[in-house]
Amino acid sequence: MFPWNYGFHFGAASYIFLGAFYIVVLVVATTLLNALWRTKHSLSEGKVEDIRWHSDFHDLSAADRSCRHVLTGEFTSRECPHAFDCRQCETHAKLIALHPPVHAAEAEAEIFGMSFPLDRMYHRGHTWARPEADGTVTVGLDDLGARLLGTPDAVDLPRPGSRVQVNGTAFRIHKREANVRVLSPVDGEVVETGGPGRGFFLRVKPLSGPIDMRHLLRGSEVKPWLMRELERLQLALTMEGASVPSLADGGVPVSDIAAAYPRTDWDAVCGEMFLEP
Amino acid sequence: MVNNVDKEFITRGVRRCSTPRFVLWLAPWVALLLFGVYSAGLCLVKGLNQTNMDNRYAFGLWIFVDLTIIALGAGAFFTGFLLYILKFKELRSVINSAVVIGVVCYSGAMAALMVDVGQPLRAWFTFWYPNVHSMLTEVTFCISCYLAVLLIEYLPIVLKNRKLREVPGFLVFEFELHKLIYVLAGVGTFLSFFHQGSLGGLYGVLRGRPFAFREGIFVWPSTFFLFIISAAAVGPSFLILTTWLVEKITGKRLVKDRVFNLLARISGILLAIYVLAKTVDTLIWINRTSPALGFTASQYYDWKPFGTWILFAEIVLCGLVPALILLTPRLRARRAWLIPAAALACTGIALNRYVQTVQTMALPTLSFDKFLSYTPSWQETGTFLGVLAYGVIVYSFSFRYFRIFPEERELKTEARPRHEEEPALAGRF
Repeated sequence: MFPWNYGFHFGAASYIFLGAFYIVVLVVATTLLNALWRTKHSLSEGKVEDIRWHSDFHDLSAADRSCRHVLTGEFTSRECPHAFDCRQCETHAKLIALHPPVHAAEAEAEIFGMSFPLDRMYHRGHTWARPEADGTVTVGLDDLGARLLGTPDAVDLPRPGSRVQVNGTAFRIHKREANVRVLSPVDGEVVETGGPGRGFFLRVKPLSGPIDMRHLLRGSEVKPWLMRELERLQLALTMEGASVPSLADGGVPVSDIAAAYPRTDWDAVCGEMFLEP
Repeated sequence: MVNNVDKEFITRGVRRCSTPRFVLWLAPWVALLLFGVYSAGLCLVKGLNQTNMDNRYAFGLWIFVDLTIIALGAGAFFTGFLLYILKFKELRSVINSAVVIGVVCYSGAMAALMVDVGQPLRAWFTFWYPNVHSMLTEVTFCISCYLAVLLIEYLPIVLKNRKLREVPGFLVFEFELHKLIYVLAGVGTFLSFFHQGSLGGLYGVLRGRPFAFREGIFVWPSTFFLFIISAAAVGPSFLILTTWLVEKITGKRLVKDRVFNLLARISGILLAIYVLAKTVDTLIWINRTSPALGFTASQYYDWKPFGTWILFAEIVLCGLVPALILLTPRLRARRAWLIPAAALACTGIALNRYVQTVQTMALPTLSFDKFLSYTPSWQETGTFLGVLAYGVIVYSFSFRYFRIFPEERELKTEARPRHEEEPALAGRF
């Protein structure tokens, strides 16, 4: 059977059997080694955050992966093929060129009773990014995100000097049993962080040139997105067995939603809303 | 309450029973596993005299169990083939469960085989000094390779655990390995195709056992092909059955009805092909193969309890009937029909493997031979129960800590519709 066996002789059967056997072993071993090599390569290139997001994105429900242009009604259904990084999306570039988002005239917008100033851009993971005059970008939690977490039990902010990347972890927030990562809307180096009393924010300096923010929601895109987010919140609360009030006039989310649902699995609700399945 | 440390390992957003309750659920299975380990230990230490097998009756409960669980575990390779090669994306929601079942079935079968062969310290001889004249050699090589493939396929499921993926190396390795999983699915299909076939061929080439001997194509007897088709047919049915069982035990909805429907349809089509092929094969065997060897088929069924009822049960009751149910959209849409049909299909394949193993050995083939009967010893039964307990424990752990059913969270609030529409991809079959 094998060349090292006593009495072995080459024949058609040994060629077929050994050929098939060694090909199988070779393919399996190559696949495994390839995966290990790619792992080593990705780790050394610092792609962990990118991979974490892609893995999370893959696990989101199909409805949560929908393209931003579905929210605005430009598509009836379309799954985002770029994991919410519209900077590399040709379809997005074409649609934006055809129908640029309308910028509202007022500096501050109140949408569904929440503050969503239009001087900044929004990430679908409930963060905002506001370009500052000095070229840096301030990153913070949007009003719905802040209401979801109320007063956090703890926040793990990155150290000044560390780097953040689009769709990577900006910071982690602990609230009751919830422990969620908040996605960064921009790439860059953290130059300042805001702690308790100052609001939780990051000031990020671009690594080179101006920060590309084509992937963030802006102007007239914010309201339909937020409407979808409130639906998602209702669904998430229902999934966790919370009885969700429905008011004919809509109502306004309370400032600390977690406190209103003391017995609900808040980790699951936050995971859903902050896109960490 | 779920223990805090325990909770960190449980997938976000899914509900699991409390830690003490889980321990309580495991306790009897662990006891059974320990009993199995003790029984197997006796066989390995004291020898095969602990069993009721002998030189004349060399295939018993263990080989029957091996053949059955390998056929039932075929859902792993077949679902992988349908999902990754033929792109039946709906099956994504059951692929992890299929892999866990595959790992459990194949590793359980390997463990039972190791006890059956005996001489564990010389187990490596099988690979180093393989018997070129034995079909079991191909079976051993294919099953070992496929078990390795299944374990590699199981790895991403484990590494995707909420706590483990916090380790960057695990997270990245899982991601990179998952990207290459279609290669493993292809290799798994190739290996499964051959070892399922070789297991069937093992009986078909027994010229000295006219009950089992079959003619065929080139070097392959008809049983080679029948085993492949039957395993592919019953794999999805077993997946339906286990998923339904887990749903019942946990009280959760885990998979959409359309996925059950698709699995049932695939199983029904393949089962119908199998029943047709088995019928043709049986007719050829009754009218040509067996008489040519000096036996009329009726002689095989003179020995009680192996009457003709067993042939009827195998082909009609547990073959044709479930195939028709699974092929009828209105019937397979109802659990009251679907589950018994899937159970019948699984029973049919188990019966086929039982007949091939036990009836083949029991029937006399020479004029001075006697009809043999065999009852497994408690050590054999204990080893089998140990394998069963091992399977339940591995599946229970996997269900608790890994994302076995990705749609579980989504389905938490959805009420089961009375009739879900046919799956979009079903028309491809």
